[in-house]
Amino acid sequence: MSGRVHVFAEYEREMREDADVVVVGSGPCGAVVAKELAEAGKRTVLLEEGPPFTPEDFALDGALSMARTMREAGLRATRGHVMPTMQAIALGGGSLVNSAICVRPPAFVFDEWATRFELAHTSRADLDPHFDAVEGFLGIEPTPDAVQGRRNLLFREGCEKLGISVEPIARNVRGCRGSGECFTGCRARAKQSMDISYVPAAIRAGAQVYTSVRAEHVLAEGRVATGVRARVVAPWTGRRGPALEITAKAVVLSAGCMATPLLLLASGVANRSGQVGRNLQFHPGVAVMGVFEERVDPQFGATQGMQSLHFLRDGYKLETLWAPPAVLAVRLPGAGLALKERLAEIPHAAIVDAIASCHHSLGQVRPRRRGSLDPVLHWRLHPDDLPVLAKALRTIVDVLFAAGARKLLPGVHGLPDELGPADAERLHRQRFRPSDFVMAANHAFCTTRMHGDPKQGVVDEWGRCHELDNLYVADTGVFPRCTSVNPMLTGMALAHRTAQALRDRL
Amino acid sequence: MRSLGYVADVPIEIALAACLLVAFGWRVLGGYPAPAGPLARLSRREAAFVASAAEALFPPGGAVPPSGLEAGVPAWCDRWLDALPPATRRLVRLLFVLVEHATLLFPAPGWDGWRRFSALDPERRGVVLERWRTSRFFLRRLVFTSLRAIVTQGYFADAAVLRALSLAPREITAPVHEADTLYPPVGRPKSEIRFRPERVAVRGPLDLPPAGVPLGPHGALHPDYRERAR
Repeated sequence: MSGRVHVFAEYEREMREDADVVVVGSGPCGAVVAKELAEAGKRTVLLEEGPPFTPEDFALDGALSMARTMREAGLRATRGHVMPTMQAIALGGGSLVNSAICVRPPAFVFDEWATRFELAHTSRADLDPHFDAVEGFLGIEPTPDAVQGRRNLLFREGCEKLGISVEPIARNVRGCRGSGECFTGCRARAKQSMDISYVPAAIRAGAQVYTSVRAEHVLAEGRVATGVRARVVAPWTGRRGPALEITAKAVVLSAGCMATPLLLLASGVANRSGQVGRNLQFHPGVAVMGVFEERVDPQFGATQGMQSLHFLRDGYKLETLWAPPAVLAVRLPGAGLALKERLAEIPHAAIVDAIASCHHSLGQVRPRRRGSLDPVLHWRLHPDDLPVLAKALRTIVDVLFAAGARKLLPGVHGLPDELGPADAERLHRQRFRPSDFVMAANHAFCTTRMHGDPKQGVVDEWGRCHELDNLYVADTGVFPRCTSVNPMLTGMALAHRTAQALRDRL
Repeated sequence: MRSLGYVADVPIEIALAACLLVAFGWRVLGGYPAPAGPLARLSRREAAFVASAAEALFPPGGAVPPSGLEAGVPAWCDRWLDALPPATRRLVRLLFVLVEHATLLFPAPGWDGWRRFSALDPERRGVVLERWRTSRFFLRRLVFTSLRAIVTQGYFADAAVLRALSLAPREITAPVHEADTLYPPVGRPKSEIRFRPERVAVRGPLDLPPAGVPLGPHGALHPDYRERAR
């Protein structure tokens, strides 16, 4: 079978396909499943709602880039505690516009999963072969100093002065030149996003890839999923086109932590437990900008090149950060000429952020209307998770001052607009409220969680829905709890395992 | 019933209500200047509001020379709105209306501080925005953050602003990747794929070195961000 990618411009009439497996979503998890099954000789169809992007489609303007590559133009936000959260709509999914961070969670994360969620086969040792496979294929390596840029190295200096362990971030990039443009699409073709790595490999192995096609309904009869009904949607406008129906021996949903539960709810399947769409978790992030005497030129260097896993057991991870300048500037205090003064300091700035494991803060994904595939996200920061964020903020402040920052712009309500080294102590006495933090909802999980008990989870350890024999979920929704580190690699490893299990069954 | 007597035989209450209605109508609809150029999505009123917000947030002079108006924030906002899904576009418009007329609830300093936002002088607009920013109410701060995010992104879309801050993107050349032979530009037919398989230099990640030559401040600017010859 000859693999092929189908694009919007060639869809003219209704279509039907027959396959061994249909995979919904071409993000990091779906792409792995499609490639592994296609290489195993299975007739594989991969559906992706977004279009493929070429380097000339990448907008350097951050807002326009988000309008093109993100759902709801990048303006999606949670209700309850309002936090922006971004989900990509593109071939390759989030990998097209993330910063390529690949981290294996430490063993204690999986030990907690096993204990709390009755998972006997999901230890770190169980998953290591799958991590190895993904890392080997993508050539994942720690970021070399040559492309770190001064911004990342300052973070390392600050951590080392405080005795905090620090390490270069392993990323799925090759030939990176440190353009700092990960979030708007890698013009250098260095980031090994799924559209240029796993998806071409799947096509080489015979997969049929339908882009600009939105899965709308999982077809099922009793305990058996029989396929997917889908619809062509025009890139960027969402205008509806002809229908596409795929019948398959197995269905894998990898539409992401927001879309997969809605697809299940709209299809009326796999929710006898009542857990579909529940347990939504994020890694809320706080960031602080440090201003240094020296010129940092922060736009050069790996977007996120250094991290510290030192405080993982305390519930947070530190990492360096760069983003489109307009996005970063949003956090700067003031207006008018004072704001311009602060903008002029950006060439002397370095940003550090922390992602927090907020295990107590559980939200929910619900359809906007009955049967809708557009989500309403409810989430609220639990008071018991507040100390984690506060401690993370204090640690960032300490690291930046240790690195030599002359002042910090914390962007936290209730704190002065600027903090000098003498103010660091004040931060330790400050009492925060949840609404004081300007947070971003990084990474989303758990809305179709795996659980050994079918009454408490949606899928088993191999991603198979408890209620259907051949319906699988392979995305971060299956995590029973957040990973404490960036989730892409874990999602891919679990997807690799799901693909192997499915290959053996088909 | 009291009436205006010699002016007209109209009850005073109705006359007052009519006056208020006219005043409210004028406040909402009247007296807006024509936009500087043709706009696809922004109405005349929205364009005036965005221009006034841009002027307040990024006035002329200071550490970064271009002002918000010189950076073309309203025109950028028009393009950006055009790229948004309809539901999101409606929310953005609601945000503009809210801040424009919230001076009725949260007036600016001065006896006429209830005038609409865009009718205030730039200094008082700045005061109004600062009050939104530092409000103890989260939702007010959220409104400010949202508005400033939009205006700031428009400001940073201007090449002169990015050049002034040394943040303009650099020129980057990439090897021809296998993927470049698979996908046409978004929305285009496959006949518009620029590269043929014989030009492929990279088939997979392991074909590339782990690190490339680092980019730095001395690299050539991306063509779209170079200063045009006058």
